[in-house]
Amino acid sequence: MALVPGVLALLPEHASLVDPVAELRAAAVAAVRWLGPEASVVADAQGERVAAALMDAAGVRRGGSTAYLVVGNGTAKRSEKAPGHLDDRAFAFDSALRDALVAGDLSGVDWSLAEELWASVDGLRRATDLVAGPATVDYDDDPYGVQYWVMRWGS
Amino acid sequence: MTLRLGRHEFADDRTLMMAIVNRTPDSFYDKGATWAEDKAFDRVAQVVDEGAEMVDIGGIKAAPGEEIDEVEEKRRVVDFVARVRAAYPSLVISVDTWRASVGDAVCEAGADVLNDAWGGADPALVDVAAKHDVALICTHTGGAVPRTRPYRVEYDDVVRSAIDDTVAYAGRALAAGVARESLVIDPAHDFGKNTFQSLEITRRLGEMVATGWPVLVSLSNKDFVGESLDLPVGERLTGTLAATAVCALAGARIYRVHEVVETRQVVDMVNTIAGRRLPARAIRGLQ
Repeated sequence: MALVPGVLALLPEHASLVDPVAELRAAAVAAVRWLGPEASVVADAQGERVAAALMDAAGVRRGGSTAYLVVGNGTAKRSEKAPGHLDDRAFAFDSALRDALVAGDLSGVDWSLAEELWASVDGLRRATDLVAGPATVDYDDDPYGVQYWVMRWGS
Repeated sequence: MTLRLGRHEFADDRTLMMAIVNRTPDSFYDKGATWAEDKAFDRVAQVVDEGAEMVDIGGIKAAPGEEIDEVEEKRRVVDFVARVRAAYPSLVISVDTWRASVGDAVCEAGADVLNDAWGGADPALVDVAAKHDVALICTHTGGAVPRTRPYRVEYDDVVRSAIDDTVAYAGRALAAGVARESLVIDPAHDFGKNTFQSLEITRRLGEMVATGWPVLVSLSNKDFVGESLDLPVGERLTGTLAATAVCALAGARIYRVHEVVETRQVVDMVNTIAGRRLPARAIRGLQ
């Protein structure tokens, strides 16, 4: 299983001359490729589109029941210029969510606070039962005030 | 079609800034500011720094004035072209001349483009372009003699005339052996045209673009801008940029300019709006 953030700048129709998310894109495409030739997607509607674009880029087909691509990310309130402006609670929430993801146990996540802090967790919530074991963290940053992770679980 | 300007090639989606470099003591806009060779060389350095892909070096002002013979025109431009060529190998060097003999000499010195602002007044210029495998700008002047002002010139349809004459000129160049990908057409605003005619050319530039030949526009600070806004030379930048935007939306490829930075921004912005160019770096709302 792999986790990527639902960043709309990853969509081909939003390409720029200079990729504002180049490092994230590289990590996300590599993680999707790591899933193997096919994967199922666990995401909300926007996340589905991001997943489709990344799978296209990685050459991964949709399908199968052994590999999962989950789309979700942390809060969008981590700086004055963040989409949701600054909310000091965002840091503790993201830190806790990160720990939960890395540990492979989402049972303690505060889903209502996630919504308040503009975290995109629909996919994560639905993947609660799929997350198992420790994660490898490929990307962990908040370049635009939104917390992104690229993580992989399993082998 | 890929545009080939002498030793340089540009993909279809590229727009190009051609910066004016006058080796004249009396051109209308700079009034001799780059008459001295070192000043002209400084101007080249400046426009290269500003991102111009091309320079257009001219030794004779377009308007009537002191007679400049071939010898004097060559003295003004040939060695200068060689100096610019040596200093800027990747810069496209155009020379604004109608004379075949001058064209031949500047091509020997390293020019990539002959900008014939007077629409084929010297019929041998096409042979020179072919001989050196350089590009040729085919302009429309309505048959005006070099260095004359329009006087009561009328057209049944100025755009039709511009298309017919420039495409015919390109055809002559092609027949003479100039490469198809090295031919550019230019309606030549204000050359053989009053303000109303230049405005109509601007308004209907898309018809010239539709010919399939790459289109160059030379709008910078010209009288049709000045007369439209009742502004003297030196206060026409905003009007020039408005005309530039209209031509950019229509699909012009090359812009002959005094102000490189401002024109580049307008052309890039318009082409981005038109969906022909990606934004430089868009993340707002897409994080």
